[in-house]
Amino acid sequence: MIRAMKEIVTDHIHNITQIFKLAKADLIKTYRGAALGWWWAVIKPCMTLFTYWFAFSYGFRSGKPVEGVPFFLWMAVGITPWFYMSEMLSQGTESIRKYKYMVTKMKFPVSIIPTFVSVSKMMVNLVLFLIVMILFWCWGFAPSIYYLQIPFYVLMSFLFFTLWAQFASLMAAISQDFANLVKSFITPIFWLSGILWRTDNFTGSVWIRRFLNLNPVTFLTSGFRDALIFNKWFWETPKKCLYFACWLVVLWVLSLWAYKRLRKDIPDVL
Amino acid sequence: MQEKTVIRFSDVSKVYYLYKSSKQRLMGTLFHHAKCKTNRAVDHLSFEIHQGEAVAFLGRNGAGKSTILKMVTEVAFPTEGEIYVDGRVGALLELAAGFDPEFTGRENIYLKGHILGLHDKEIAALEEDIVAFAELGDYIDQPVRTYSSGMKARLGFSINVNIRPDILIVDEALSVGDEEFKRKCVSRINQLLTNEHMTLMFVTHAVGVAREFCSRGIVMNKGRAIFDGPIDEAIARYDQLIGKK
Repeated sequence: MIRAMKEIVTDHIHNITQIFKLAKADLIKTYRGAALGWWWAVIKPCMTLFTYWFAFSYGFRSGKPVEGVPFFLWMAVGITPWFYMSEMLSQGTESIRKYKYMVTKMKFPVSIIPTFVSVSKMMVNLVLFLIVMILFWCWGFAPSIYYLQIPFYVLMSFLFFTLWAQFASLMAAISQDFANLVKSFITPIFWLSGILWRTDNFTGSVWIRRFLNLNPVTFLTSGFRDALIFNKWFWETPKKCLYFACWLVVLWVLSLWAYKRLRKDIPDVL
Repeated sequence: MQEKTVIRFSDVSKVYYLYKSSKQRLMGTLFHHAKCKTNRAVDHLSFEIHQGEAVAFLGRNGAGKSTILKMVTEVAFPTEGEIYVDGRVGALLELAAGFDPEFTGRENIYLKGHILGLHDKEIAALEEDIVAFAELGDYIDQPVRTYSSGMKARLGFSINVNIRPDILIVDEALSVGDEEFKRKCVSRINQLLTNEHMTLMFVTHAVGVAREFCSRGIVMNKGRAIFDGPIDEAIARYDQLIGKK
């Protein structure tokens, strides 16, 4: 375990510039070959956002302002980080499979593949989030001191989903079933995470509400909302932070275990 | 003068596990619980290669030659035994030396360079040589997925010989190029062997090419080295093995 950790950490330190270069290459690859190119990075999320906004405001007739902030903005704050998360759940999980040739055709530190994919997805997401913040300003909500914790939540979601991809991409490389399992969970996670509705308002069983609130995705999305809308600091809810930290530790152990177990088998299987 | 050892195999075995289904493979790799057939691709192999040597690996399909090269490149790991490798390895495994099919040839040069830990400046310095050597013309700026296998091999070869590896590993890559390119590669390899003191590991079925620059041959059969010695004797042994008179 300790050796696996040492290996992963030294691989990352030695290849830190490569990680950014490969992330850039990954970005270029994703958005090239289409006439609109980079615009797709913005168009696709906008389409999703408008569709949900329309369905909720006019379909369910439930798009009321939250704490004085228009429903559209409230939704945008929650859904934008989710774009990164869902990409990591799908493509982060598939990252080693996608970059197979780096594993089977050359000597390459496998553990940095999920990391550079994560960096690449995060880059796009940061631009989107910047757009959301500009939207807030345009709507007349000036940045507050609470915005200072945005980098904290960005870092937390980056950590969480990079660790996740470290574990899941190795598992998915060994078993296609695992990849499919994760994919089938993306939609449930989306709807059960308080991205489109407030889990605090859940009126059913207390246990279900607790369960919903303990979802790490809920922690992250509500964190971004605390920063932009509810003006709350993350240390005001220490229990939630501690709980999230537990998640990080679990994922970290899982990723080390997967690396130790699978690293040497991956090239034979792919 | 005895050169230093750059590659050493000590009692190396490589076992591939052949599972019946992907479910069994998952159980097997994670918990070592599933039954499966095994294939011993390399069987208790030991040898040393010194700096500047050019060694050809001969043998029938499935004799374990490619597995040896993969283990030296570290894209496969031994099941038992130890492998020691000293120096930068340039590897051409199975033709397409790890290109990203969506990127152009030129971008792949940079990608490959980044992966090897070179800086943009260093790559830019090598770029012209690589492009010139590969002779791909306008195709250098086209995506690699549009390349023929010969073109991929040329680019792969060109990159790998120009990054100045300490150890060059070539697996069948020369068999797809045309005669002229093959000659060019042979002379380039010879030049690297004599001037730069590079070490070469070479797998081929074309014994003629092996004779041109290898001084030593290892004949493999069913994962074991059945002969290790001067190239001419190795080729004779190999011919005997495949039943050629």
